[in-house]
Amino acid sequence: MIFFLQDMMRRTFRNMMGNLFSNLITIGIIAISMLIFSTFTLLAYNLTNFFNLWEDKIEVIAYLKRGTPSSEVEALLSKTRLLEGVETLRYVSPYDAMDFMEMKLGRQKNLLEGIQPAVLPASLEIQLKKEYRNSTKIKEVVAQLKKIPQFEEIQYGQEWVETFSVLIHILRLTQWILGGLLLIAIVFITSHTLQLTISSRREEIEVMQWMGASPAFIRVPFYVEGLIQGLLGGGLAILFLFLLHQGLFFNLPPSIQAWLAKIPVLFLPAKTTVWILLGGMILGFFGSIVASMRVLQYK
Amino acid sequence: MIEAIIQMQHVFKTYPSQISALSDVTLEIFPGEFTFIAGPSGSGKSTLLRILYCSEKPTSGEVIVHGMHITQPGFKKIYQLRQAMGIVSQDFKLLKDRTVTENITFALEVTGHPREEAKWKALEILRHLGLEERESDSIFSLSAGEQQRVAIARALVNSPSLLLADEPTGNLDAKMTLRVMDILTDLHQKGSTIVFATQFTGLIKRYSYRVIQILNGQILDGRKADTNKIHQG
Repeated sequence: MIFFLQDMMRRTFRNMMGNLFSNLITIGIIAISMLIFSTFTLLAYNLTNFFNLWEDKIEVIAYLKRGTPSSEVEALLSKTRLLEGVETLRYVSPYDAMDFMEMKLGRQKNLLEGIQPAVLPASLEIQLKKEYRNSTKIKEVVAQLKKIPQFEEIQYGQEWVETFSVLIHILRLTQWILGGLLLIAIVFITSHTLQLTISSRREEIEVMQWMGASPAFIRVPFYVEGLIQGLLGGGLAILFLFLLHQGLFFNLPPSIQAWLAKIPVLFLPAKTTVWILLGGMILGFFGSIVASMRVLQYK
Repeated sequence: MIEAIIQMQHVFKTYPSQISALSDVTLEIFPGEFTFIAGPSGSGKSTLLRILYCSEKPTSGEVIVHGMHITQPGFKKIYQLRQAMGIVSQDFKLLKDRTVTENITFALEVTGHPREEAKWKALEILRHLGLEERESDSIFSLSAGEQQRVAIARALVNSPSLLLADEPTGNLDAKMTLRVMDILTDLHQKGSTIVFATQFTGLIKRYSYRVIQILNGQILDGRKADTNKIHQG
């Protein structure tokens, strides 16, 4: 068994060195394809991450009708708390709202002089459960809130939520459509390069078949070659992406860097990196199977 | 009753250009037989051998070699069949970019022999065929006759139980032909079955082995084996 493995690896590396140029081309093309896919994965990962951070801040504000008696507030709180999707809520009286506005205006709070707190509507600040913090689910909660007659208006940063959800969705969709196309391209390229390798060794393969070498003995080195090409291609893609990630971040203007300091621009997690490497290997392997099915028939 | 090592039943082979290479060939070759397939160039000898080592499929008919029904649809054990046989073809099928020894060790290594053993066996067979001084030379530097001897050495190195040789002495001089025939006779006396296709009647007459005459793809004579001449190893 050890002899077989040693011999197989020796033959694989001899094949690869003997067809160095075509192997380098294949590895390069796999690297470029995987880099495109990984870049989209990284973008989607960071946007999702950012969205998750932002999602935690998503809340619904339900403004009470003016003149709603304070005796009804407790019952309203209890009723709202029971709605599906509501995690926590806080009653904001007109006085609290005035304090908040003063705090926000800071030195310019004198602008509020002469304005009575009663002008401002009371409201409920509603925090939603995690699974309800998206454009579809949030609408369900809003629809329930709208049925409560004491509420005048419901606000939830509707446009932002919808735009962001659509953006993430498009990015994920692009990532997978592109991933699918690149997948086909990689299998196609790997299989064609391996066909070239196999063709250049046709004489040797014929002699092997002539001598009674088993199909596995002939094919396995080509499968290993596909695996190695995929692994090296995937590895190079990860390396380039890492350099790109580091380089871009350090070359940004200081103002953008300062802004980004609040939003962490992360590199792909180790698990995703391993999946990309495995993906490269699987694609390379699949390409070599396609190639061997075409040109390694026993004759 | 001895079971035939090769059985061909009503075998026909017609190429797409409608050229009929074999027509209703039926024969049996028994273990330990030395059989000449004799006939002029283009008579169907090579096609018959290529069918026996599964390099070609017959258009119809049944072929059994070593107990394997090689004409059955989906027959996948070609490599097992070839491991038990030695093949010498007219085009030698040598690896031009390798040395004489490497060509022979390669044949052993692909069937799982350790490298050291392969090298030792290769040097021994090269010595038998008078090629010991050319062991490190590349195939390119050899004459046609020497290349033919390397091809014979490669076919014999595994001590096959069945040797299929297509004009193995075609490029050899008289002296070397006799040397090769001595080696084949020795192999035959050890129990191997040898099928030797040739167009040289002089060579056939020199030995009292079974002769199957073939002309225009049809067997004229020699269908039946003389069981008295079968060696049992």
